[in-house]
Amino acid sequence: MVNDGAPDVEVVARILGGDGEAFGILIRRYEPGLLRFATRILGNPDAAADAVAESLVRAYRHLAQCRDPARLRSWLYRITGNRCRSHLARRHTNDISLSDAPPPALADNTDAWAALERGEQVALVERALAALPAEKREAFVLKHVEGMSYDEMAAVTGARIPTLKMRVHRAREALLAALEEVVR
Amino acid sequence: MSPLDPRLQEALDGERDPGELPADLREAYDRLIAAAHLVSATPHLSVASRVMAEIRHTAPAYHDGSVRRAVRWLGRPRAVTVRLRPVWTLALAAGLTAILLLPAGPGAGPRPGVAEGVANFVGHFPGARSVEVVGSFNDWRRGVLHLNDDDGDGVWHGAAVLPAGQHEYMFVVDGERWVPDPLAGRYVDDGFGAGQQNSLLIVRPAESSSP
Repeated sequence: MVNDGAPDVEVVARILGGDGEAFGILIRRYEPGLLRFATRILGNPDAAADAVAESLVRAYRHLAQCRDPARLRSWLYRITGNRCRSHLARRHTNDISLSDAPPPALADNTDAWAALERGEQVALVERALAALPAEKREAFVLKHVEGMSYDEMAAVTGARIPTLKMRVHRAREALLAALEEVVR
Repeated sequence: MSPLDPRLQEALDGERDPGELPADLREAYDRLIAAAHLVSATPHLSVASRVMAEIRHTAPAYHDGSVRRAVRWLGRPRAVTVRLRPVWTLALAAGLTAILLLPAGPGAGPRPGVAEGVANFVGHFPGARSVEVVGSFNDWRRGVLHLNDDDGDGVWHGAAVLPAGQHEYMFVVDGERWVPDPLAGRYVDDGFGAGQQNSLLIVRPAESSSP
């Protein structure tokens, strides 16, 4: 029996040895980040859930092809990013529609006003993110939402680090311009 | 949209202390960090039960049938044929790896079945401690198809009887380094989106080349 705190390498070995239920540990570990990532890329929680579910099933089926289980997180993000790109390609556009953006969640009455204000802020940033080309949106989300290093981003996307830096820099410029436009 | 001050980019990349930024850049820095924070909330979703239900009804990673497959592989008669060719020597001199796909000839030992062929794997890995082949034919399972370098010259070789058809494969050197075969001639994307490629081999049925 492998415990929830076991390193990825150990959990992967356990799964490859026949303990399929141990995959639940990896789901619990990486599902939140993958869903957050996919939601920001696709702009739609339902589509993100589909993409993440498909990616996790694919990861399970091809787990033996994970060349470096110590970098499992990068591998899972890579599969999910690829799946998101397929979803976007099927829509024939890299841009997510504003109607796809998740609605702001309201808390209880006492916090309703603050939540509404925050919800509007979230919607504003989502609108600015949605206006970015998919590659820049992905780079910004990996860097500033998922907190990845450029090395890890390169492993996830297959792009070179200078390319990724350029995408992140351009995304920042576009976001800042969009946010300043609204403030004026 | 104007380019951001390089100092701001450096601070956002973690290469500069944001406390050193002038007030206007610090304001922009704070605005971008706050924007990222606003969209960092984790959606209230879960696909765990859906995924677990799905994988319980599908072939698991590689353990499904792998024991039977391994036993079948170990028990299967196979012919090992190594032919020296000028191109092969040239490939070694160039420090490259090669794979030779040869149907088993008459007298080469037990023949593969009607729909099978023999794949001879050859790679040049001087200094390697171990080399093995993983691929779609063995569910990318490690420890099944080891190559040998009995004379220690850095040339590793081995063979396997494989079903006729197309197979993806990679060399695994020293148990950790995945290396495509530079002389495979054909490659396919590994399907995981980062542009990495698997080598591709096509096994011809041994019967098809018989006179």
